[in-house]
Amino acid sequence: MNSQPSTLWTHLSSETNHTGTWRSALPLYQNQPSPCHGACPVGGSIATWIKQVKDGDHYEAWLTLVDNNPFPAIAGRICHHPCETACNRAEHDETVGICSLERFVGDLALREGWSFPSPDVELSQSVAVIGGGPAGLSAAYQLRRQGLQVTLFEAREALGGLMRYGIPSYRLSPDILDGEVARITAMGIDLRLNAEVMDEKALTALHKDFDAVFLATGASLPKELPGLDYSQSFVLDSAAFLADEPEAQSSQTGEHILVIGGGSAALDVARTARRLGRKVTVLTLESEGHLPAQQVELDEASEEGIEFITGAMMQSAVGKDGSVTVHATKVDFQIGNAPGGFTAAPVAGSEFTIEVNTIIPAIGQDADLARWNGILNTSGPVINISGAHGKTSQPGIFAGGDVASMSRFVTQAIGMGKEAALGIVATLVDDADVVAPSQEPEVLLDRINTAYHVNHGRNTQGLAEVASRLETFDEVQQPLAPAQAQSEAERCFSCGTCTLCDNCFYYCPDVAIIKLEDGYEIKTDYCKGCGLCVAECPTGSIHMQEDIAS
Amino acid sequence: MKDIEYNEAGQFCSGHNACAGCAEALSMRVILNAVGKNTVGVVVPSCVAIIVGAHPRSSAKIPFIHGLLESAAAMASGVKRGLVSQGKDDTTVLCLAGDGGTYDIGLQALSSAAERNEDILYVCFDNEGYMNTGGQTSSSTPLAASTGSSPLGKTTRKKNLVEILAAHRIPYIATASPSHLSDLSEKVTKAKAIRGMKVIIVVIPCLPGWGIADDAAVKVSRLAVESGVFPLIEVEDGLRYSINSADKTKPIDEYLDLQKRYRHISDSERVELQQDVDDSWDRLVARTKM
Repeated sequence: MNSQPSTLWTHLSSETNHTGTWRSALPLYQNQPSPCHGACPVGGSIATWIKQVKDGDHYEAWLTLVDNNPFPAIAGRICHHPCETACNRAEHDETVGICSLERFVGDLALREGWSFPSPDVELSQSVAVIGGGPAGLSAAYQLRRQGLQVTLFEAREALGGLMRYGIPSYRLSPDILDGEVARITAMGIDLRLNAEVMDEKALTALHKDFDAVFLATGASLPKELPGLDYSQSFVLDSAAFLADEPEAQSSQTGEHILVIGGGSAALDVARTARRLGRKVTVLTLESEGHLPAQQVELDEASEEGIEFITGAMMQSAVGKDGSVTVHATKVDFQIGNAPGGFTAAPVAGSEFTIEVNTIIPAIGQDADLARWNGILNTSGPVINISGAHGKTSQPGIFAGGDVASMSRFVTQAIGMGKEAALGIVATLVDDADVVAPSQEPEVLLDRINTAYHVNHGRNTQGLAEVASRLETFDEVQQPLAPAQAQSEAERCFSCGTCTLCDNCFYYCPDVAIIKLEDGYEIKTDYCKGCGLCVAECPTGSIHMQEDIAS
Repeated sequence: MKDIEYNEAGQFCSGHNACAGCAEALSMRVILNAVGKNTVGVVVPSCVAIIVGAHPRSSAKIPFIHGLLESAAAMASGVKRGLVSQGKDDTTVLCLAGDGGTYDIGLQALSSAAERNEDILYVCFDNEGYMNTGGQTSSSTPLAASTGSSPLGKTTRKKNLVEILAAHRIPYIATASPSHLSDLSEKVTKAKAIRGMKVIIVVIPCLPGWGIADDAAVKVSRLAVESGVFPLIEVEDGLRYSINSADKTKPIDEYLDLQKRYRHISDSERVELQQDVDDSWDRLVARTKM
């Protein structure tokens, strides 16, 4: 053998042949936002924390959640979850139950007593936060995290705002609210309860005493229904009703209650009244399928025996001897072109009457702006803010939540509080580390290789039995069991977030991908730019970019 | 959660001359790593010969002998016997050929080696045509698929090599797909441990030959499996059939529509192809129960 000339034998590796020169495009690993993240009112990095749940890192998942929202246990219960509406998995089988997972992590944190770390530095800049609801608390939390000094003014005797006085405990248990609020106040906030900032003069004083002011006084004035005499004893204010204790709620209401309105607040009133043993009818202007309340609330309300009259309008109500005759008419409800716009023309000849004992209109609340006349622009329905960070027309005053937005969602307020806090920090603190939101495009379903995601229906939360629901104010929705939560987290496509599954490594025909501890590297000498790694990526976290350098 | 895992021991190198996105190179990577270092390769003219590479370079970390197109199995038999005569009984002989060298030109040598039950591992990369020479019809080309030499579509059926080999009652026959790399790796490992003749047929969607996108070979092969066009099976001793992939879950339409070679087919041909796949699947399922 040794006598053969060596040139007869292959002795070189193909690696001397740099096939990278064939390429016109190169794969790029890049985590990009998922549609759920884009839809999330708090910008909640959802794919990231669900991956952490998937990996069993529950504490890390909670840390990711509270980067953007100090209330995961609350949001997991009551958020209107636009994330789930945006979820790429909807077309595959069912959307991921993001809220139920968020609640799972949030509840775990409360059980385990996880607390927020103290800020790395204490800064001298001071901020007055006016209003201790979701927006104010969210802003106070974010400001304290950055080390600013926060004084929180709350008109009522306890913190929470709408979360405490507007959402019944069968949707959000007070223990959960107290737990998540206490974690924020433990960060060292100068609390002023029963301290309403009454008017323009008081606000001006705070503006002078503090480096910045965040105004989050909510929307406290009920919208009034034309044709209804609010001075009558059979008419109750929905916000006051919800804020009352059950004994007071009972004593003010008759046997049959008519709730007017189709939003969450109307349903909260109706379902609370059912728990007092009342017969409840809900009258909505919107026709069926167009009610602003969440479908799950409507389903649960129907299960609880609440009657709905949809696509109808009250015209007058005449009370006599504890009984009220309501005259109403059906309407032709049409969605308009503008968001939230509609028309509702009465249908001739469709008039009808209902006999009830109490009427509780719940058709929305307006912000009380008149008291800020002179310091802020109060010409609109809400305080006019510019940009993402809640800046008002008055430098140094920021606003957020229902006082500055018509959207009327708790998590929207939490997100506005966060953004305003980041704006305040950027204004007051030199070299502030405020991360701008990603401008990258969202990863849509066409970038997910669904072959790697086995069809599996959603793990749903259990509901309390209808009969037992009506006897108490205990929570209706039951938490996911740990195994269910794990299974639900595994359903997440992790859109745009690399899960280190190694598909790209194993599928490269050119052995041109190197595994690193926390990612991958392309051997550009050999990558031919075929794109198989991109096509076989289950998460859409690689894409091809033009590469003409080689 | 890992969807794929196979032993990556560096037995296949970068820099080979397969087309960008070639599923045959991808499959080679898996096979060479699974079969291990103590292996001698035999290769005949085909895309595989190009991928292994021309003298003096090689993409494989094992020695390869290049032979003639009609004699792959015969040459592998000789190499194995030579090794045994030197006392190297435990060295695996891996014979790589395309469908031209297996279904057509090398069939006589393959049949003879199977009849003698030679102790070789024979892998056929089945890209359903003479793709290395520009895309001509082989006896593996399916009905209705167009090639350079059957531009209006092939008028005869694809030869059923599994049944031919099963009739020889060799110990192990398997089919595999680059969409199921762990399965391919396991089948090579299993075959290597069996004494006698082993044949694995790997479906290889040829990018230019089938008219598919550079990044679509794995997708197309996955659809071939899921639609039942190319089921993943094992046949032991020519008698015991088993199906290794999940049930046939998809109609053939998505599989056909990704390939330009089926672009011309009529609706009635489409129905005929679907019927053929359905019938073949039913026969296969019936065999697994025998």
